[in-house]
Amino acid sequence: MNPRRTRLLFLALVVGQLFLLASRVRDPDAPPSLLERTFLRFTAPLGGLVAAAGGAVAEAHAARRSRAELEAENRALREEVVELRRLRLRLSGLALEAEELARGSGLTVGSGFVLRPARVVYFDRDSQLRTLLLDVGARGARRDQAVLAETGVIGRIVEVSGRWAKVQLLTDRAAAAAVLLEDARRQGVLRGAGPGRLELDYVPRQVEVAVGERLVTAGIDGVYPRGLPVGVVTAVEPGSEMFHHITIAPAADFSNLGPVFLLEREQPPTELIDRESRGGR
Amino acid sequence: MAVVRFLLALAAVTAAHCLGTWLWNGFPLAVDLFLVLAVMVGRQGHAVPAMFGGMVAGWTADSLSGGPFGLHGLADCVVAFATALAAQQLVVQRRSSLAAIFAAAALAQSLLLMLLGYLFRAGTDAPSLLWLVAKVASTAVAGLAWTALAGAFGRRLSARRGRRRADALTLPR
Repeated sequence: MNPRRTRLLFLALVVGQLFLLASRVRDPDAPPSLLERTFLRFTAPLGGLVAAAGGAVAEAHAARRSRAELEAENRALREEVVELRRLRLRLSGLALEAEELARGSGLTVGSGFVLRPARVVYFDRDSQLRTLLLDVGARGARRDQAVLAETGVIGRIVEVSGRWAKVQLLTDRAAAAAVLLEDARRQGVLRGAGPGRLELDYVPRQVEVAVGERLVTAGIDGVYPRGLPVGVVTAVEPGSEMFHHITIAPAADFSNLGPVFLLEREQPPTELIDRESRGGR
Repeated sequence: MAVVRFLLALAAVTAAHCLGTWLWNGFPLAVDLFLVLAVMVGRQGHAVPAMFGGMVAGWTADSLSGGPFGLHGLADCVVAFATALAAQQLVVQRRSSLAAIFAAAALAQSLLLMLLGYLFRAGTDAPSLLWLVAKVASTAVAGLAWTALAGAFGRRLSARRGRRRADALTLPR
């Protein structure tokens, strides 16, 4: 190909990619394109393979070093801890619901939810473009599904391709969630502020906010149900004339991410569904 | 054949990147193997394969990053094309010059990523100077290592082919 045509082709490629980039940035909530899904289908299994191989090597090493009996007991205890933490997550939501009912505010908390484990296949928490890729299994996942760690919320699913899903972390600068200050009973908007940091916006300066106060999800953003632990207030400074500038430490430990779970709405009992469908006919 | 070689290299680079990230969280900040692959393709001096190779390598990096899809694709495409144009004019054999090419490519890519992030308000943070230096240095080292390995492999392959050809010519009468 002559140099002039090559330069024209290069120019066309650059302009095409600028358009691709601009369309992606202008509408970040648009569903992923076929191109993105194709590349995710190529990279995610490789990430899964590496994670599985690495996990297997680490496990073999541990098994060689410790006695089998101790290891079995340890595994059982770990499973119990995970189960108890899941239970605590659930109880946290229920406690808030009970509190609301006791106050007689008439607020209704969303229906129950179940946690489904997912496997982390790739986690880049430090670079400029933080990502978490999950193997969500054959049941798949859906966009905007909440993702939790044992200790609290870590983000939401933004892209799904087959059994692979990409998660937008809460600490991502583009991420936001509606949250509630547990003691002050004030809602605000939580924003990502870079690695391991969150910021809380739109809390008026008249509201007294104490360092150490816990934050839970407010349940009004259509992504996270009410009452899930999000973080703890670490600093309160005067921001603008009207609002505080509040810094939050995430509840989930992003530097040491253990098992993660997808949050799914609990299905109503099947007999109830059957009865409703019969009545509707 | 060249396309198959490229795809195999891309798969190896992706696996190495995932392994690096699994072992050390700072790996994606300090090392960009996709860029090394793009520069390796560009060093052959063919502009068209270079721009497409850089673009595909960048898109693969994009699928593993949380930023908007196309950010690395565009940056790596430009860097690979520029490398190919430079390779048409220059014959580089000294190791120091080779390292300088990889380092310059890493620097150019980082600047392009920052510029694109700024232009499109992609929600990306600018890397600290320390990480930038680490990335430039690691790209130079990885590029040198890759070039040395590819050279050794190529020499062994051509030697084997030469021996086969010689055996075929000296068949018993």
